[in-house]
Amino acid sequence: MGEILQYLLTGLSLGGIYALVALGFFIMWEATKAANFTHGEVYMFGAVATVVLVERGLPFLIAAPIAIAAAAVIGALIERLLVRPFNKEPNAIGWMLTTIAAGIMIESFATITYGPLGRPLHSPLAEHPIRFAGAGIYAQEMLLPIVAVMVMFGLEAFYRRTTLGRAMRAVAFNRTTAGLMGINPNRIALIAYALAAAIGALAGILIAPVVQAAPAMGALIGLKAFGVAIVAGIANARGVVIVGICYGVIEKLIEGYISTGARNAVGFTLMILVLLLFPQGIFGRREVVKV
Amino acid sequence: MTWNFWRSKSCAFALFAGSAFALSLSIAPAEAQKAEPCIAGSWELTGPLAHTGLAIKMGIDAAVDEINEAGGVLGQKLRVIAYDDQGEPSRAVDNARRIGDRDNCIIMIGGYRTPNALAIRTVLSEMGQPWMGVISAGTRVIEWETGANEWMFRVSMKDRWVAPFLVDHAIQRSKTKKIGFLYEATGWGQGALVDVEATAKAKGIALVGKETFNIADQDMSAQLIRLRDAGADSLVFWGVDREADAILRSMDRIGYKPNIISAWGIGVQLGKTAGQLTEGVVVAGTYAWTGDLSPRAQKVWQRIKASNKLQQPSELVLPSGTANAYDAVFVIAEALKIAGAYDKKKLRDAFYQVKYQGIVANYSPAFEKTAERHDAILPSYYKLLAYHKGILLPIEQTPYAAKF
Repeated sequence: MGEILQYLLTGLSLGGIYALVALGFFIMWEATKAANFTHGEVYMFGAVATVVLVERGLPFLIAAPIAIAAAAVIGALIERLLVRPFNKEPNAIGWMLTTIAAGIMIESFATITYGPLGRPLHSPLAEHPIRFAGAGIYAQEMLLPIVAVMVMFGLEAFYRRTTLGRAMRAVAFNRTTAGLMGINPNRIALIAYALAAAIGALAGILIAPVVQAAPAMGALIGLKAFGVAIVAGIANARGVVIVGICYGVIEKLIEGYISTGARNAVGFTLMILVLLLFPQGIFGRREVVKV
Repeated sequence: MTWNFWRSKSCAFALFAGSAFALSLSIAPAEAQKAEPCIAGSWELTGPLAHTGLAIKMGIDAAVDEINEAGGVLGQKLRVIAYDDQGEPSRAVDNARRIGDRDNCIIMIGGYRTPNALAIRTVLSEMGQPWMGVISAGTRVIEWETGANEWMFRVSMKDRWVAPFLVDHAIQRSKTKKIGFLYEATGWGQGALVDVEATAKAKGIALVGKETFNIADQDMSAQLIRLRDAGADSLVFWGVDREADAILRSMDRIGYKPNIISAWGIGVQLGKTAGQLTEGVVVAGTYAWTGDLSPRAQKVWQRIKASNKLQQPSELVLPSGTANAYDAVFVIAEALKIAGAYDKKKLRDAFYQVKYQGIVANYSPAFEKTAERHDAILPSYYKLLAYHKGILLPIEQTPYAAKF
C-alpha cells in the first residue's frame, strides 16, 4: 500500500512538471501552429535565474517574479527572432531548427556562466517530507500538480473571459479571419510565447528546491513535455494536463514494477502506441480544412 | 606484349613500394618515439562534468608550475595542453589521436569518465602513446581482457580494489549483514557490479538487492523501496553527486536511512546541495585537503589556492582527483629523468623503475610489469572520508570514525 502510494505521489509531482511545461506547448501551438523547442531550456532558465538572484541577496519572493518576467521576455524574443521569420509559409518547419539550435546555445551559455553543477534553492516546503501510510513527499513537490491544474483553469478563464484571451482563441481558430477582424496575430503570437515561457519558468522554479537548479535540467523534460502535448492532442489544455500528470504516474509505476531502465523505453513506446490509436491525440479533434 | 610487360613491371614496383611503405609504418611506433615535452589531457572541460576536468587541471598545473620553476625536466620546460571531450568517448578518441599524432606529446593524461578511458585503449596501443589515468577507476582501463596493456598507467583508485574496501566497511557497519548495491547505469557502474558481486561472494554474503539508476534521474524512490523491503541496512553506492543528491532526497521522502558507503564519484558538491542529508555518508578516496596537511601538501594547496582564486580547501570539488593528478605529474617527471630522453618507449619502460614519495602515496616502485600493477596507488593508501555538517572530511575528524 505504502509502495503504490509512494509511486502515485512522486508520479503526481513529476506529472505536474510535464503538465506545466506541456501547457506552454499548447499555448504556443494555439497561437502560431508552431512551438518553441527551447521550452525545456526556458524551464531551466527560471530555476537558474532564481538561484542566481537569491545568491545575490534578493528574497525569493522578489527573485522568482523577476526570473519569470525575464523568461517571458526571452519567450517573446524567441517568437520574434526565431519563430516568426521561419513560419511564414503554411508548412514551414524552419522554426524547428532555429529553436532547437537556440536551446543548445542557451544551455551552453548557462553552463559557461553559471557552471555545470546544480545549486540548491532553499525552500521551507522542501526541508521535511510529509509522511503518511508508509509514503512520503515534500510539500514543495505537491505544489506542482496543484499549480498545473490552477494554471489550466486560469488559462481557460483567460481564453473565455478576457478580450485578449478571446483574441487568442480567434487567432487559433483562423489566423487570417482574426486578422481581418482587426486582431494583430503577430502581437498575439508574441504574447502567447511570453506567457508560455513564464509558465515554463514557473515550473522550473517550483521544482528547483527539490532537484537542484542546473543547466542540463531542462532538455529531457522539454522533450517529454512535447511528447505529452502531442499525445494529449496539443490543442486541448485539459487534455494536456491530464496526460501530463498521468504520464508522470505511469513512469513511476514502470520504475516501481518493471525497472528503472525500462522507464523511458516503455514510456515512449506507450506514446507511440497511443498515437497509432489516436493520431490526433487522445483529446484532439481532427482538423477540417475547407478548400 | 610490351604493354603487359610494363604493366607487370609497374605492378611489381608498386607492390614493392607499397610493402616498403607499410613496413615503415608498422615499425613506426617502435622507432619514432621521440616526443615533445608536453603533457596533454582529454578532460571534461565543458558540460555537466566540467568541474571534474577543471579539478584534474588544477593538480596538473600546480605540479607542472612547480617542476618548471625548478628548471623543468631534462633541461626543458613542460607544457600543458588541455583538450575538452565533454565526457564523450568519441571526442576522447579524437583527442587521443591529436595528442599522439599531431602534438606528439610525451604523455596523455586521462579524464574523469571510465568509458572515455576504455574507448581509447586501442588507439593508444596503435600509436604507442603513454597514458596516465588520474581518476577513471574502471578495472578494465588497466586490466584488459586480453592482458595486452602496454601503454596505460594509472595514479588513481581501481574498482577491483575499491570494491572489497567498500564492501568490508559496509559489512562492518551493517547490523543485519544485509548489503545492497546501488549503481549508475554506465560503463563505470556496470564494471563495478562485477567487482562488487565477486567481493561479496568471496566474503560469503549475498547482496540483497542490486539497483541501478540513469544519469539525471531525479527520483529514486522505486529502487530504494525495493532495497528497503529487501532489508538492506547498508548500501554500497557507485555514482556521482547529482544522482546521489536525488537518492538522499528520495531516502528522506520514504524515511529510509541505511548506511551509505560510496565510491568516490561523490564529493564536496554533494555536501553543498544536499546539506544535512549527507550526514554520515562515507566515501572512499585517496586524499583529503581538509584537515591537517603535511608541509609539502600545504605548499601545494597554497599554490592551487593562488592560481584558482580559492578560499578554502573544501572548495576543491574532487580532492582525491586533484591530488592524484599532482602526484602523477611528478611520477612522470621522475620517469623522464630515468629515461634520459623525451622518448615514449623509454618513458614507458622507466615507469617500472620510479620510486617516489608523493602527497598521496609512497610509490615504491610506482608500477610493475604485470597487468594488475599498472596501478600506482595500492589499496593500503585508500582512505575513508565522511560528511559531517555538510563538509567532506577525513573520517577521523568526524563522529563516524568510531563505527569502524
